[in-house]
Amino acid sequence: MPNYTLDDIINSPANTGHLHGYSGKIIRVDLTTREVSFLDTYQYVPEYVGGRMIANRIFFDEVPPDTGAFDEANEFIYMTGPTTGVGIPAGGRSAACAVGAAMSPEQYAWGNIGGWFATELKYASYDGLIIQGKADEPVHIKIEDDSIEILPADDLWGLRVHQTQAALEERYGHEFKSMVIGPAGENLVRIASITTGNDCVFAKGGFGAVWGSKKLKAITVRGHGVLAPADLEKLEYLRFNMNNPGMRPSPVLHMTQIGVPGGEFPVEYDRGNVACSPGCNQHCNALLMDGRSAFSDERVNHIEKCVSICTFDYRSDIPTTVGMFWPTKENYCAPCKLLSREFPEPDFSDPHFQEQAKPLAPDILNFWGPDYDRGTIVNDLCNEYGIDKWEVIIFMMPWLAMCKEEGLFDGMDLGCAEPIDVESEAFLREFITNLVYRRGEFGDLFAEGMARAIRGLGYEKFSESIYHGRYSQMLGGKRIDLPVSLEAAWGQSVHWQGRGFEGAIEKPTWLAMSLINMVSTRDAQTVEHFHCKHDFHEAAMADPYHCPHVIDAIIHTQNAAEIKDSVMSCEWQSPDLWWPTMEAEMYAAATGYPMTEEELNDAACRSKLLFRATLIRNHGRCRRQEMESIWRILSVPDSLDEVADWQSWNEMVDLYYEARGWDLETGWPYRETYERYGLADVADEMERLGLLPERPQERWCDYGDEPFVLFAQNRERP
Amino acid sequence: MESRGYANHVVQYAPDYSLCAGCETCAIMCGLTHFGVTGPHVSGVHVDLGTRDCIHTIQVCQQCLDRPCYEACPKKDEAMCFDAGTGVTYVRQEGCIGCGKCMRACTFTPSRITLRRAESRKGWRAVKCDLCREREGMPACITYCPVRCIGLSEDSVEAASGIHPAEPNAL
Repeated sequence: MPNYTLDDIINSPANTGHLHGYSGKIIRVDLTTREVSFLDTYQYVPEYVGGRMIANRIFFDEVPPDTGAFDEANEFIYMTGPTTGVGIPAGGRSAACAVGAAMSPEQYAWGNIGGWFATELKYASYDGLIIQGKADEPVHIKIEDDSIEILPADDLWGLRVHQTQAALEERYGHEFKSMVIGPAGENLVRIASITTGNDCVFAKGGFGAVWGSKKLKAITVRGHGVLAPADLEKLEYLRFNMNNPGMRPSPVLHMTQIGVPGGEFPVEYDRGNVACSPGCNQHCNALLMDGRSAFSDERVNHIEKCVSICTFDYRSDIPTTVGMFWPTKENYCAPCKLLSREFPEPDFSDPHFQEQAKPLAPDILNFWGPDYDRGTIVNDLCNEYGIDKWEVIIFMMPWLAMCKEEGLFDGMDLGCAEPIDVESEAFLREFITNLVYRRGEFGDLFAEGMARAIRGLGYEKFSESIYHGRYSQMLGGKRIDLPVSLEAAWGQSVHWQGRGFEGAIEKPTWLAMSLINMVSTRDAQTVEHFHCKHDFHEAAMADPYHCPHVIDAIIHTQNAAEIKDSVMSCEWQSPDLWWPTMEAEMYAAATGYPMTEEELNDAACRSKLLFRATLIRNHGRCRRQEMESIWRILSVPDSLDEVADWQSWNEMVDLYYEARGWDLETGWPYRETYERYGLADVADEMERLGLLPERPQERWCDYGDEPFVLFAQNRERP
Repeated sequence: MESRGYANHVVQYAPDYSLCAGCETCAIMCGLTHFGVTGPHVSGVHVDLGTRDCIHTIQVCQQCLDRPCYEACPKKDEAMCFDAGTGVTYVRQEGCIGCGKCMRACTFTPSRITLRRAESRKGWRAVKCDLCREREGMPACITYCPVRCIGLSEDSVEAASGIHPAEPNAL
């Protein structure tokens, strides 16, 4: 048991503001020297709020330029937030940052995760942990209150994700909460994830491979301390009012169909809904019960998120409505309610109801047909090996399907004894297993992730060839070309970008999503889904590239992502466009600090600037690099057979850069921008490195020629 | 376990009425209601989490009629007390000496009684479900459960009424 009380935390000398919501310490574990030390959380708060904002500050201060994902200097910085563990809805989530292995090129990346680990770490009296250096042999870290041990993991190394979790619980007790990697992380598979309870994962950044490179198999924690919100009355208010009305009783239901909405197929299974983390009041994870296991005859439960639905059947894309992205107040509801099937009755009195409900018919894609068992096996393989499902389901499997359909695999077996067939469970099992264990030439190649593997095989053929099986239902079944590789910015796959996956969205929406992804380092749509009030829909549709409301909404979306990854909330609960002070109220209820919406927004801008500065300093980020990374996918036609216009896209990027206070030519922030958010020290550092631009006398507009896209040229061929 | 009787107590409903989602709101709100804090040892409700299969079990005092915890308490009626009107066995925090005998006397595994560190840091205090006897309305765990997967053993009608627990003043 820890020898402290709540008063010890609130009244500690370092906690000059007597803030609740923080434990006060961040653990630093150096795996090279095997030393454990601590950082004082209070040096960062309330200015940096928590979570990702603190991680961004620490990373900028500590990790030198050109550090690669697998370098000893790379730091995995994991942070909880002030709402974590105190009972505020969605506060159980947590965030991490590091140079990730999954992107191309390797870049500083971020992620967030559910599960019970974060709350347990807070009960152990820590706000986060920094993992640096490299162990010389497999290790795991055991934290129990004041005791922090770096222990051998020889007997854990090689175990799958659930085996590792079970072994740790058996060894230390069921109450220990763990984050672990599977064999994919151990083998430095670039799309490897880190998994905690509930099959919650850090998936997108390739952080599992970063752990693997550090020979870190697991972190397990048990805490016996206490936490308290500063304002219990406010907490109760939040519990009743965040995404009111609340859930109904949530029984396990016997289902008779599954699949993409509108394209379901018959199959019988039981389904429930579960929370991802402590304190959640909206339970959006699907519990698919008694499904097949990829590794035994035992029937197992699968906890699945949104993308898993495509594993079962991917004949057509995801249907959408205008209201999903451009909601009215009358018909707005949090996305989690859709996932948990708690969607409220529509408000038909809404004058824009018809437009809100207007369906945007999905493309017919014909990737693979219905098969529930195959889907469960693929999901289980991803869960147990510890690899990013998104890359497998949205990038790898469609690529396999399209390349086969176009005859690109003639004479190839991709190292499998089975015929290449994305509808074959046996083939998928072998193909995925080969890449997880880097078996053979192709296993080793695909372990590098799809973007790198495609280039290894031959970019011209295996990326830019045309797939002829996509048909637009928006255009009466017209065939529209699609490249066989659904790669978007930074080597990550498409996600709400109007083509290839979640394609049936309008131009202002996909332009916004693409801009968000362009200025990030990874697929940002896990936490930065674009939303804008319906009031501005007409203006955006009239001039999608130059609508200032779209730019404002992009910045709001991005800032909201910083906030929800720092206060700790959830993509499916916030932001609430009609409750703009919600996160500030959450923060105030947790800490007692009277945070305002403006103050929190400034903190988000500060964090975003640190992120930007890190990309510029550590990875050479500039406008040209960003434009080259995003332009290919914008040259692929949307569901209305439209592509982006180079001149107009540049003008839209100009509007965004200007609104952010960045130089148009370089994309680098000006000194005044850094200083506006209290980052003069960052400006000094950037100036020292020659990375601080001067404001030009004349407005820059030399966009140059659009980057060459081979797919666009291929489309024009007869 | 031997057959015994129980007074009114918190029960977990069958998953075909409502599935426990593992959000631990019940345990969190119990700690906050009684002590103003959250933590693993400040709640009379414990959620045994299914890390991988997501089948979660609520563990809470069943208010045994033979009250082994009460009988084991050396400060009977000062620390461990019994409300004959409701059948609830409860802990008076100011009388508890933290000896742990009640915790060990509990016949359930794991014990439905835990020990928290006293505010003074000197010694311990027993914590168990008292059905929020000093709180108006339903116990906090039931009031705040987002999916109403728990209720009272003698009052399951209310649970089946379809009232949304997260609606203000619903209960």
